[in-house]
Amino acid sequence: MMKRILAFLVVLVLAAPAIAQNGPLRLTITDGVIEPITFAVPSFEAESLQAQQVASDLSRLVVQDLAGTGLFREVPATAFISQVSSFAQPIAYPDWRAINAQALITGAVTVSGNQLIVKFRLYDVFSGQELGEGLQFAGTVAGWRRMGHKVADAVYSRITGEGGYFDSRVVFVSESGPKDNRLKRLAIMDYDGANVQFLTDSSSIVLAPRFSPNGDRVLYTSFESGFPRINVLNVANVGRQQLQTAPGEMAFSPRFSRDGRSVIYSLSNGGNTDIYRTDLSTGQHVRLTSAPSIETAPSLSPDGTQIVFESDRSGTQQLYIMSANGGEARRISFGEGRYGTPVWSPRGDLVAFTKQNAGRFHIGVMRTDGSEERLLTSSFLDEGPTWSPNGRVIMFSRETQGAGGTSSMYSVDISGRNLKPLPIQGGASDPSWGPLQP
Amino acid sequence: MQSPGTYISGIGHIGLIGWLILGWGFDSEPLVFDDISVSVISGEEFDQMRAATTPEPGNAAPDAPVQPVINEDPPPAPAEQDPPEQAPPPEPVEPPDVEAPPPPAPPPPPDTEVTDAAPQEPAQPAAPPPTPDVEVSDTPTPPQADRIASTPSAPPPPDAQVDEVVRQEVVPDQSAEAEVVEEEQEATAPEEAATEIGIADLAPTTSARPVSRPNRPTPPAPATEPEPETETAAAEPEPAPQTSEDDVADALAAALAAEASSAAPAVAAGPPMTGAERDSFRIAVNSCWNVDPGSVAARVTVEVGFSLDRSGVVQGDVQLISSDGDQSAVNTAFEAARRAILRCQRGGYQLPADKYDKWKDVVITFDPSGMRLR
Repeated sequence: MMKRILAFLVVLVLAAPAIAQNGPLRLTITDGVIEPITFAVPSFEAESLQAQQVASDLSRLVVQDLAGTGLFREVPATAFISQVSSFAQPIAYPDWRAINAQALITGAVTVSGNQLIVKFRLYDVFSGQELGEGLQFAGTVAGWRRMGHKVADAVYSRITGEGGYFDSRVVFVSESGPKDNRLKRLAIMDYDGANVQFLTDSSSIVLAPRFSPNGDRVLYTSFESGFPRINVLNVANVGRQQLQTAPGEMAFSPRFSRDGRSVIYSLSNGGNTDIYRTDLSTGQHVRLTSAPSIETAPSLSPDGTQIVFESDRSGTQQLYIMSANGGEARRISFGEGRYGTPVWSPRGDLVAFTKQNAGRFHIGVMRTDGSEERLLTSSFLDEGPTWSPNGRVIMFSRETQGAGGTSSMYSVDISGRNLKPLPIQGGASDPSWGPLQP
Repeated sequence: MQSPGTYISGIGHIGLIGWLILGWGFDSEPLVFDDISVSVISGEEFDQMRAATTPEPGNAAPDAPVQPVINEDPPPAPAEQDPPEQAPPPEPVEPPDVEAPPPPAPPPPPDTEVTDAAPQEPAQPAAPPPTPDVEVSDTPTPPQADRIASTPSAPPPPDAQVDEVVRQEVVPDQSAEAEVVEEEQEATAPEEAATEIGIADLAPTTSARPVSRPNRPTPPAPATEPEPETETAAAEPEPAPQTSEDDVADALAAALAAEASSAAPAVAAGPPMTGAERDSFRIAVNSCWNVDPGSVAARVTVEVGFSLDRSGVVQGDVQLISSDGDQSAVNTAFEAARRAILRCQRGGYQLPADKYDKWKDVVITFDPSGMRLR
């Protein structure tokens, strides 16, 4: 009897795994690969004779935008098996699978007089279906670059699930001349360094320009009067307005509030620097900090409820967070070195900062509670981070060492990858990334 | 959520382990020991027994004498002889005292048991091995053959192939006109063998090195190996001389075959997927799962399901079963998972065909928590 029971149990134990596998095979995958998504962009179809050059340039711009992120890699046209000669042509998916193109972008361009129409479709090659519906943009021929950026933004957004940042602009300080007599003026450019336009002349020193939330105005610090003052510049007509301060006060490091109606900034008076908020319509000032130490570089959270700023109240320069209305602040940076110029991410989850430690400067990010600090760059002088509109890329200025050192602007993905300089003629510093254009 | 099979397995394991610990139902039977009587005898008695049973060295003519190694040096005195080489290295035993030599008889082998039964040497073969002529050398050098056999063999001729059977060289008869022509065959002879293992045989010829790790077994390609071929291949081997071990193996194979045939209708359930098979499948999908650690999709876990045909190709759509996170990130994460599954299938996932019922439906959880930026 006991032998039978023993045999039954043995059979039961041996059979249990088989019973356990009834139903679908279940697997859990926790390790993937980190590599660019491959995509193919056959030259957009020119639906009119005048559109040929624009179609070619525009499709190349889409490729540059996507490949420039480091998240995508183009499959060159020389590898194409089939060609897309017509926008309405059905897609031969096997041909694109064979060259391992995961995404396929087709488009067509029409030029009629000064009007430019661009339409495109995005295909997920391996699932054999279109990702989203086709889109069409209309604009002027002169604005073809914006049209290309729009197409790239749409593709980026559909594949990554995040907003794009290609159709955006950056305001910065353009620099020229030797280091001991450097001329500075405000300039604005496309995110990729194209279409640089100057907003001020170089008669006075300008610092720290900051875009308004909708990109129509720029705040900056000017030394036109000999003391630092905050100006508000209208990007469209380059009209300026100065923020009123009392004689002897120095105002600097301004940023717009999230609604663009007020400005938070640092005000230095009698050797003490604190953070203030001024309503742009009424001119009313509100003091947000009142410590005897230096509080500066305020940056609002995306929801406008909190401010991250730098302070030396602990004896060294560190980062703190307080309510947007002032009050008790809590320190979030505790690493070695000094932390400054904090900027809250548009996503709200990270704070970018400049860190100085052991003779090197770094651009880094940390969570808003100070955890998970990661340094993304390291050089002789990296400073002034600014976030892309989607919170994915950080742009900053880097200065090289020595009397002949120059400033230039770099961008880096928040993963720390894809560090690259912006192709700009001359020196450039203090970038501020504006929003996506409408 | 655990499946019922998991519970059954758990209960079964616990019950079995408990039973083994407590030992219910096991009958303990006393071990049987063989009694061996041992008595002490004197040296003279032992010498008498040896003289009665051990053939006199030099009197036995070897059947197939191994080429002796002639020792040019004069033989040493018998008292200075070393113990026979087949004896294990003497541990703390002192060498024979030269000044007070024992009786001229050779010392007994250390591993020879002394009983009051018949004085036989259990380590020796039934037939006493031929020994080389001691008149040539009292300290014969064992032949340095690579092969050890109960019967020594002479070195094969230099132009003969080594084989177990001695064959004469067959040369085609050019003059013969017989229809059946004998196949040309080279002369063969058994490999040289000795009855003893020489010291040189025991010494390694090369330094011991770790054995390289065996290659991972390549999973069989079920689609290209139909089962009838396997059966045919199993039936094709040339008949070999039957041994008792072969008989056991045959009986076991027959029993397994009978069990397999009787269980044929239940093959649909099939054996479970092994861990290696599951890992192989998982790794195949891994290599195409592209995760962007900086994206919001990297914070989303998605569970997707799909079906495979017998060649391992995805049939129909890949379905999103469950997810967490906001919808935009979920869509992106799902599309990345779908791309991984579809890209890496290529001509079909390599899965065991006989376990198709175990993998025809698959649910994969893509969890990027370990890849997020930290």
